[in-house]
Amino acid sequence: MSTIAPTPAPATLPLEPAPAPPARRRRSGRIRWGMWISLAVIVLFGFAPVYWLLVTSLTPSDRVFAFPPALFPTQITFEHYATVFGNAQIFGYLRNSVIVSVITAVLSVVVSMYMGYAFSKYRFVGRKSLMYFVLSSQMFPQALLLVTLYLVFAQFGLLNTYLALILSFTTFTLPLCVWMLKGFFDALPDDLIEAARIDGAGPWRIFHSVVFPLAAPGLVAAGLFAFVRGWNDFIFALTLAGPDRQTLPPGLVNTFISEASTSWPALMAASLIVSVPVCVAFILLQRFLVGGITAGAVKG
Amino acid sequence: MVQDISRRTLLRYSVFGIGGAAVLGLAGCAPGGSGAPAATPGGGTATDFTFSSWSLSEEAAKPAIESALTSFRQAEGIEIDTVAYPYNEYLNQLTLQVRGGQFAGAAQLDVAWLSALAALGKLTDLSAFTSGAGYTDAALGAGRSDGKQLGLPWTIGAVGLIGNAELFERAGASLTPTTIEEFEDGLRALKGIGVIPYAASTKAAQLKDIVVWMQTFGSPIVDGDASAIGDEASVKAVEWYKKLYDDGLIAPDVDRAAARTLFAQGATAIYDDAPVGKSSVLSQSPDASLGDKMVPIARPVLKAGQTPQHVLWGHLVVVVDGAGAQTASDFAAWLTSDPAQSETYFTALGLPPTTDAALSSTAVTSNTFVEAFTSSITATAQPSPLWKYPAYGQMETAIAEQVQAVLIGQAQPAAAMKTAGEAIDRLL
Repeated sequence: MSTIAPTPAPATLPLEPAPAPPARRRRSGRIRWGMWISLAVIVLFGFAPVYWLLVTSLTPSDRVFAFPPALFPTQITFEHYATVFGNAQIFGYLRNSVIVSVITAVLSVVVSMYMGYAFSKYRFVGRKSLMYFVLSSQMFPQALLLVTLYLVFAQFGLLNTYLALILSFTTFTLPLCVWMLKGFFDALPDDLIEAARIDGAGPWRIFHSVVFPLAAPGLVAAGLFAFVRGWNDFIFALTLAGPDRQTLPPGLVNTFISEASTSWPALMAASLIVSVPVCVAFILLQRFLVGGITAGAVKG
Repeated sequence: MVQDISRRTLLRYSVFGIGGAAVLGLAGCAPGGSGAPAATPGGGTATDFTFSSWSLSEEAAKPAIESALTSFRQAEGIEIDTVAYPYNEYLNQLTLQVRGGQFAGAAQLDVAWLSALAALGKLTDLSAFTSGAGYTDAALGAGRSDGKQLGLPWTIGAVGLIGNAELFERAGASLTPTTIEEFEDGLRALKGIGVIPYAASTKAAQLKDIVVWMQTFGSPIVDGDASAIGDEASVKAVEWYKKLYDDGLIAPDVDRAAARTLFAQGATAIYDDAPVGKSSVLSQSPDASLGDKMVPIARPVLKAGQTPQHVLWGHLVVVVDGAGAQTASDFAAWLTSDPAQSETYFTALGLPPTTDAALSSTAVTSNTFVEAFTSSITATAQPSPLWKYPAYGQMETAIAEQVQAVLIGQAQPAAAMKTAGEAIDRLL
């Protein structure tokens, strides 16, 4: 009878990596600390202007330029916020900003989603050339187009109207929105569309019932981009809008910056107040925004 | 899913796009204006017009101007539309409006901008409004271009030196330096008490201030039809400025706004400004008595007996030809020369009026700062030789860039001024 020697038990795979030797642990600890410090510096760098904005808006006028500047205000006043809230014109500028920014965003999204879809899913002669032509219009310095736009709008009687602002803003937002959404539609599998077509859906139905719901994050991202473009514009709004349709950026400059002086604390208070709606929009829509921007970045 | 679109279909749709672009392009070629007829006082029936002003958007000036507009409106039984742009954007916006045929009426204008706007050929000649109005000769000169009175002077002063009497006294420096040497001695004394002696402009945005120092050293700036920048006097002026910079008598990164702030905080003893800057300085100063310590100082000269050099500062009212131009001209004359209106405007804003009668009124003579400013600085002020050229802004920038290169040690004064002079020659 032969005896079979027992097979040695296989070496068990360690479930957790063996503890790093002390030198490596120290190194990884240092790297972690380095990362935290780097992040802290970046956060400080990003928030410093906002902090300075807040501090200046709460500082009495005669202390704003005190030297050396105080990191924490020794005296706080809300008079500058009262000044802003007491100025009815600023709410008119705010209303105008909301109107032109929202309509610009909606118009940009509506037009660019069809254009982006066509560029992504249709093949036609000159498609690539047309795509680059659309993008090239983004490369012009805006000031270069301002005079021409002004004269064109004057000829058509569009100066001092919301439409002039919306059209000019959309001119600049459309190319990037189209390219953003084209990338998003590229990431949607053709099989999905093919399946809808086999089920009997026409092109219109396919787009609105199948593609559109899936494209929501991309549309939100493009819409936010267009909204911010309209919200922040200074020179077009100043030139094309006239006194009754003026938006916040030129309105605030007109109100608080004068030939000989600038009312910095009131300007800072107004800037903080008017940035709130944009911040809220970004916070509410950030999950769509991140998804929309990165869509199409990785294929396969 | 991939679909094909035919070449024919694509072309059909392209026609609409290209056609639209052509229409828009043609519309962009709107013609400019030529000459504008002269206006006569009180001609015809009063009509509505538009008034453009940067001061209408400024908290301090707005009530005074609105009050004037209301008075004229009620007296004439008309409507006056208003347009306001921020000061820094004003000339560009007004030029665009006039060039595009979108503006007619009266407009506030900085004295430096007259030639640039006059080049559009749409300003009304207001010569008929000057006789008997009592404007001072210096003020009238500020509104004249190519022999025509294209602007009526609203407020006229100058940019000069303003000192803090308390700091001068503490340093034992003279508040009335006659020559450059005396002035420099005073700056060295002021450095001894731990302040920036002179908040002269060293930032490109305001380095055009050097032009008046070049004139002080004897440069004509423009000689006939050629630039004089690069001559011995202009180079000596820049060498002197560089010496002040190297010796810490002037400081880096200073523009007008920074100078006002430094002065308001008591961190500098002297800076360049027009009377309009006083309210800005006082509004940001913790020293409630600073206004009493502000003293206008006549700019020193190279040799005793020479005339101090000062550049004119002020606002005009011009009239752009078109609907309501006649009534706008009457308004411009009333706003700038009516005795009661001039006094009211001065009392509200402290801006020097432009008629002999207003200047000799109690309201003006009892304002010691304006009175001293007018006698010691405005009295010898002249328009900048560069202002008569529409591209004067680019010329000032060319000078500023080269002077800054000298200050930071990237260029030698003679070579830098030669470069600036050549750049100006190309713009003349």
